[in-house]
Amino acid sequence: MMAKDFAALWPLVFPAVGACFLPLASLDREHDTAKWIRGVLYLVTLLALGGSFFYLADLWHVGGQPSFEALRMDRLAQFSGIFITVAAAITVLQAWDHFHQEGWVKAETLSLLLFSVTGMMLFTATSNLLLMFLGLELLSLPLYALVGTVRTRPEASEGAMKYFLTGAVASSCFLMGTVLLYGLTGTLDLSRAMASSAGSDPLFLAGAALLLLGFLFKTSAVPFHQWTPDAYQASPHPIAGFMSVATKGAAFVALLRAFPGALSLGAAGPKAQQAFAVLAVLTLVLGNLTALVQTDAKRMLAYSSISHAGYLLLGFVAGTPAAYTGILYYLAIYLAMNLGAFGLFTAYGLVGEDTSYDALRGLGWKRPLLGLYAAIFMLSLAGIPPFGGFFGKYLIFKELVGTGHTSLAVLGVLASLVSLAYYLRFLVALFLQAPTEALERRRAEQPAAPAALASASLFVAAFIVVMGGLAQGLLIPGFAQRAIEEGLKLVR
Amino acid sequence: MTTWMSTHLLSFLVFSPGAAGLALLAFPERQARLAKLLGLLVAIALFGVSLRALSLTPDASGWLFLEHRPWFSVAGLPVDYRLGLDGLNLWLALLTALLVPVTMLATWSSLAKREGTFAGLLLLLETGVLGALLSQDMLFFYLFWEGMLIPTTFMIWIWGGEDRRYAGTKYFLYLASGSLLWLVGLLYLAGQAGSFSPELMAQAAAGLSLHAQGWLFLAFVLAFAIKFPIFPVHTWMPDAYSQAPVAAVPVGMLVKLGGYGFLRFVIPILPAAAARHSHVLAVLAVVAILFGSLVALVQRDMKKLVAYSSLAHMGFVLLGLASLSVIGVQGALLQLVNLGVSTTALFLMIGMLERRAGTTMIADFGGVASRMPVLTGFWLLAAMASIGLPLTNGFVGEFLILNGTFTSGFAWGRVAACLATLGVLLGAAYLLWMTKRVFWGAENADPDGGTAKLAQDLTARELAALLPLAALILWIGVHPRTFLAPSDRPVAQLLSDAQAPAPAAPALGTAAGSAPLSEVHE
Repeated sequence: MMAKDFAALWPLVFPAVGACFLPLASLDREHDTAKWIRGVLYLVTLLALGGSFFYLADLWHVGGQPSFEALRMDRLAQFSGIFITVAAAITVLQAWDHFHQEGWVKAETLSLLLFSVTGMMLFTATSNLLLMFLGLELLSLPLYALVGTVRTRPEASEGAMKYFLTGAVASSCFLMGTVLLYGLTGTLDLSRAMASSAGSDPLFLAGAALLLLGFLFKTSAVPFHQWTPDAYQASPHPIAGFMSVATKGAAFVALLRAFPGALSLGAAGPKAQQAFAVLAVLTLVLGNLTALVQTDAKRMLAYSSISHAGYLLLGFVAGTPAAYTGILYYLAIYLAMNLGAFGLFTAYGLVGEDTSYDALRGLGWKRPLLGLYAAIFMLSLAGIPPFGGFFGKYLIFKELVGTGHTSLAVLGVLASLVSLAYYLRFLVALFLQAPTEALERRRAEQPAAPAALASASLFVAAFIVVMGGLAQGLLIPGFAQRAIEEGLKLVR
Repeated sequence: MTTWMSTHLLSFLVFSPGAAGLALLAFPERQARLAKLLGLLVAIALFGVSLRALSLTPDASGWLFLEHRPWFSVAGLPVDYRLGLDGLNLWLALLTALLVPVTMLATWSSLAKREGTFAGLLLLLETGVLGALLSQDMLFFYLFWEGMLIPTTFMIWIWGGEDRRYAGTKYFLYLASGSLLWLVGLLYLAGQAGSFSPELMAQAAAGLSLHAQGWLFLAFVLAFAIKFPIFPVHTWMPDAYSQAPVAAVPVGMLVKLGGYGFLRFVIPILPAAAARHSHVLAVLAVVAILFGSLVALVQRDMKKLVAYSSLAHMGFVLLGLASLSVIGVQGALLQLVNLGVSTTALFLMIGMLERRAGTTMIADFGGVASRMPVLTGFWLLAAMASIGLPLTNGFVGEFLILNGTFTSGFAWGRVAACLATLGVLLGAAYLLWMTKRVFWGAENADPDGGTAKLAQDLTARELAALLPLAALILWIGVHPRTFLAPSDRPVAQLLSDAQAPAPAAPALGTAAGSAPLSEVHE
């Protein structure tokens, strides 16, 4: 077997190897690891992610599409690999600051993160159902632990437990769907299974639906969203950002592999499209309206991330290659703006549970540059031009209108109007509400720990959001469109 | 000689203020005065550069200046980078470039905090407004149209009164709601046309059923109507204006775009629907004129009074546009410039009074003329312009609009013109009554009242801000040809194009046709 046969494996090998060795460095049970050792651990993590990133970037540049049995590192997988490693790297930068603020720096966190990254890549790089399931589990299990990683906080384990229980149900649904499809069609390959003649069998439909449920749980689409706010609020800020971006992104890319096949099912195709339309509408309405009444900024961001799943699902309803391109572009921008939004908590040095709007009062003027980033992230999340978030919605709404779903586009537009209200609320708290005296006193007594790396990561995120708006001409055709064109070819 | 500037004049004018504004936002608070000064210098320099536009001559298709290159294209739907200057937007663009330094000068010492941020936001807004004025591609236009909400909302939020949070948020949500729904219509039409260029969209729209055109017209008009603002969707305006006197001028810069956008995009793209539904617009316009004037009559706060008066004035603009006659549309275009001059001047002077007296309630003043004679002189001039006295700009604009409406081919033309004339009378009533109560009469004896605190007449900076506006009021009033001549041909062209694909529509502008306007004024 030649070395190039393993080419498809390399992107997974870097994070996996890193993940295996990192915990060795922190065997001490006391919290007395020297700071330089911690620094080295974080650096190793970044190197593992960087190795994977640059390898993928090189593959993209060369245009190679290596495969290893059922594992195919095609354009779509390369796109998602780059997406996941960038998200993880930003998370690692923010985690350094956040865990120091919390006083809980552990190498196991990094190891878990890298395992999860490996799982996500596997999940998105195959259409073999068993491998997908492996990837799904490999990405989920470390995340359950990551939610509760700060063990000193009681709510952390509660959130982790909730996430684990609901996640386990979703995983078993996925497995059950796999079993049904395999039993009916005799193949584990998703695209072949979907294209088989068993399309109208009710058992087949049940299997496909169970499979879909597994995906939708990870995208936190309504009605599989209940875990989201609790899990996000319990987890450390950077981890919440990572889950909201990378998990959702990986699930959507995997769905992109599965769903275009499902559309060609014949009898089941329109049904699947209707199901997506209903889910998208529910997700948009519920996610946005619930976000509107939150009093906690982090919970608001959790519900807002649910509502963003709704916009992305609308792209599936349109179901054209251009809409899929829009989904990928949306994901890329969503990565920057949502990790940026969650990163604000770290950059402002908010520790523990207090992430209410009231805790944010008056912070906008304290550090003007962070305030500027906050405005960029919030307005982009709301889809206001000229930021990248607008173009994500533009691409999806355009295809919706083009395929005759004008009423859904109107609903999406109204939903983003509602979302504007709660994103503005965030800015109102930052810039307009004067801090209470008690808050001033607390800030004076416990000055926020410096967060240089988190601020730097916010700069990167803001840069992506702004450039995504101003230079989307480079990003869309060169990146998202090619990923879709060459990724979908393999499915068909 | 070909320099970069001579081929990219519009790009420079549009984007350099935004770049400068972003730089100013990054200034720390303790260097606010430096930031403010730099902002003023940039704004003045930009106005100087913008005057180069006056030396341009139109090419065969009417463009004074056009920058056009493809920007990006997704799935066969291209979006172009297309900035164009012609007779329709020439004066509005120059006025915008002038109003920015004027606003900075007039509010020089009335901002209690974050002066550098104000200069930065104002320059960012200049990018937004100029970009929207000059864009000739619908999506490109939409970016500026929506993007300029950001700086104005922050202005209301930061420098507003007690209810500023409510006013700012309401403003943003109101305006975004209109344009977001419009976006859906825009995407639909772009999908039909395969392009965002207004010309191709017009062709595509002509092929659609009247039913579909009606829905598109509704989506288009809603967006512009909210920005205008037109009667039922105007409620953001009194809040925004009265809460944020310093923001009133910037917001005023941007409402001009409602009328301009209607003229530039709605009439050419949906001419048949515009002709079919023009009577609805005319009714709304007349209601806005009468409603605005009557409500202004009972206001006790000067800011709110002027806000409602501008509602009435925007009604005139809409009436002129709805008449679809050359004279009426020309008048509407001129009236947009007039509003930028005289309403701005009124708001600026109210701001000056507020800085000194700390109040804008009419009852707190009285006898201001004896304490501030120079301000009173400027006020009289601006108020007369707003009322529409001959030899001021307001007269020319309102006369043209009423003339165009009366002689338009529509059955409702004469009735609407007669009713709107009532608005002129009412306008004289509320402004003169207020002027009498504030500036004349016995001095307000209350030591805590407004008049007692007016120690100083206009400063040199305030004078510098008001002088150009006063000069414009007289110039437009005495010699309107300067301002009407560039738009003669584009307006006639636009209306005759609009007429061509809709033979079923009533005869448009029969009385006016392409008759030169010169006979009206010269």
